[in-house]
Amino acid sequence: MSLELNFSLDDKTFRNFLNGHPVVRHSHHYLCLITKLVEDLSDIGGPQILAEVVEDSIRTVLDDYFQQQGTLSEDERMRIGEAYFATFGLGKMAASGDRTGGEVRLQRSHLDEGWRMKWGERDRPVNYLACGFAAALFGAAFGLPARSFAVTEQEGMVMGAPESRFIVRAA
Amino acid sequence: MTVMRDTVVKSLAKVTVQGDENGLIPEYEVLVNLLPVALLNSFAERIMAAAPPERKAEVEAGLVRAAYECGYHTGCGIITSESFNEAVMPMVTEGAKDILRGAYAAFTAWGWAKAGIVQLKEGERMVIRAFDYYEADSGGEGLRAYMFRGLSQAFFDLAYADPYPDGMDTYVCQQTKGLEVGDPYGEFIVTKK
Repeated sequence: MSLELNFSLDDKTFRNFLNGHPVVRHSHHYLCLITKLVEDLSDIGGPQILAEVVEDSIRTVLDDYFQQQGTLSEDERMRIGEAYFATFGLGKMAASGDRTGGEVRLQRSHLDEGWRMKWGERDRPVNYLACGFAAALFGAAFGLPARSFAVTEQEGMVMGAPESRFIVRAA
Repeated sequence: MTVMRDTVVKSLAKVTVQGDENGLIPEYEVLVNLLPVALLNSFAERIMAAAPPERKAEVEAGLVRAAYECGYHTGCGIITSESFNEAVMPMVTEGAKDILRGAYAAFTAWGWAKAGIVQLKEGERMVIRAFDYYEADSGGEGLRAYMFRGLSQAFFDLAYADPYPDGMDTYVCQQTKGLEVGDPYGEFIVTKK
């Protein structure tokens, strides 16, 4: 089953919607600077706040879609989550695992590639956004509550790795 | 003929985006993303709430800066793009002023805000009013249209500061009214820094 995309436009406000959820466009400059901002705010939990915000908001999008589609297997849910990641322009994701955890790989990454375009490589991972997305995807795929999974980025394309790799563990 | 805002909005609003086979949206010389409004608003609300009082100004400046750099670099790509060239440039008869009008039409067409210029003193000052913008839906306290401020500052820099990429940080935008605090519209004033 592939992800069905329904783009719409409110004729009065000109707001854009994807599958009923308001969406808006920005660029890699925006997400890179937001990511840098949360790192500058590490002492107040900046990276965790970003990851949790992403988990919560993406979880809403996935849960709504899965509910509308009716019965879907866990594998179908994973594939749909990957397709959403790509539709949002965030990269090419491959997720595997079960309710105890698993692995997520990014063969392409908006944030890592954008970071490299803007500032070059660095020596540690940067993609808190994908961590939050992966947590939402596993939670939604296996029908578990938010914060059921802890996601750690092991390697990042921003470090020069050929792909980014995340470990997902049941929290 | 100057830029006919409604015509431009309708034309540009038809342009939809989504990731390609690599899950990327390379357009306007940048990588574009398409994210839920709830994610962006919730992030701004939670990061501002987490900041202690003495650091709120730093966080606010960071949120505006993110939008500013996005707007400056992406805005340059937009106003030199094929879609902008087709929809806006045939109507441009007043130079930078018309390009700025076209940029705000794109601002509306792409769902950032339903907004327009209400006063313009070229190269010196601009007043914009917005009757719908996604940040108006955000939780939190006080005026909080950080994205709108950053993008407006960027557009004015592109129109009147030194040519791209040397004109950064020439102007600054302040928000004076906001739907999020109960005003009938959002109001933003751009002036020299």
